Amino acid sequence: MTATAEELLPATRNALSLLLLAMADDEFVIGFSDSEWTGIAPLLEEDVAMSSLAQDELGHAQALYRLLAELVDDGRDADAIAFDRPPEGYYHARLLDHPRGDWANTIGRRFLYDTADSIRLEALAAGSWGPLAELVEKIRREERYHLLHVGAWLERLAAAPGEPRRRLLEALERMAPDAATVLSPLPDEASLVLAGIVDATSDELEGRWRAKIRPAFERLDLPMPPAATDPGSSRTHHSDAFRWLHGEFTAVRRLDREAPW
Amino acid sequence: MTDSPPPDRPSAEASDGHTLEPWEVFRREKEGDPMRHGGSVMAPDAELAVHYAREMYGRRQESVRLWVVRRSDIHDLEDVDLLQPPLDRSFKKPGGYVMRDKLAAARERSGKSKPKARSG
Repeated sequence: MTATAEELLPATRNALSLLLLAMADDEFVIGFSDSEWTGIAPLLEEDVAMSSLAQDELGHAQALYRLLAELVDDGRDADAIAFDRPPEGYYHARLLDHPRGDWANTIGRRFLYDTADSIRLEALAAGSWGPLAELVEKIRREERYHLLHVGAWLERLAAAPGEPRRRLLEALERMAPDAATVLSPLPDEASLVLAGIVDATSDELEGRWRAKIRPAFERLDLPMPPAATDPGSSRTHHSDAFRWLHGEFTAVRRLDREAPW
Repeated sequence: MTDSPPPDRPSAEASDGHTLEPWEVFRREKEGDPMRHGGSVMAPDAELAVHYAREMYGRRQESVRLWVVRRSDIHDLEDVDLLQPPLDRSFKKPGGYVMRDKLAAARERSGKSKPKARSG
């Protein structure tokens, strides 16, 4: 009993479009940011692996933008939504505003993001809006590998004494105020819970996320991330690092609007 | 791709205790096929070797199964005295026993024609 886009209540539809935008922008920004490792990752094999992970995220973003374009139906296609906004118009979590930094920063951020994203996807998998639930099911199958990969690296950096562990701790401290922003509340999200599109509010999802990462953080003796400092602006007020990245990922689009990805 | 890796990329000998070593990757292309050697990856341990094998030999859905084996665990035999002995070995090959004429005669006796070549 899936509601078609037209049958959704206006408030639900609006909340759903913000959720899709948040998820798509999250995947899009981390995908582009991590793709910067292509050619310079610590090992040749890891170069291929990280580039491929980044590509996966862009694929997820593309599918989510398409769904959003159908839902909003305002004449913009996925490309227009993805590329034709000014930096202030993007709606990704502030965790992804941090530059990729060093390898420890990239791994720390991926771990925080991938675990939070997996909790979000899990909460949507049995949702009542068919098109999203179906897409989420496919995305989750790819994200399984992402979690294994980033978990293996977090483990190695945290357990290696000296520089690797020191750099990882510094990165986690740098990102701490924004670590929990992926699951900050979205406007009107209660209507999504009411409609059965997502199975819990952001507060509850954040609790699930903390329960998920706590065993690894305790075992590796890493500090648990604090609550987001300003959850109300978790997806606005972007950083200079993001404005730079935006200039990079919109460069081709500005040169040639017909270029396909 | 540049000709040489970036200067801060570790060589196989470097990197504090986490020495990279080669792992051989075997892949099954589709159900029912044998496992065939695909190539190798460099990795510091089995877990990452499996992840990298998946990226190199499975990310385009070209495999349904992978095996990853530490190269140093492979027992190697590459000895010409054992594998390519110098004396005449033709008596160990079945080439001297020609079946074709015997088969033709047998078919003639039974009145059956030559079976068609199997397709595939």
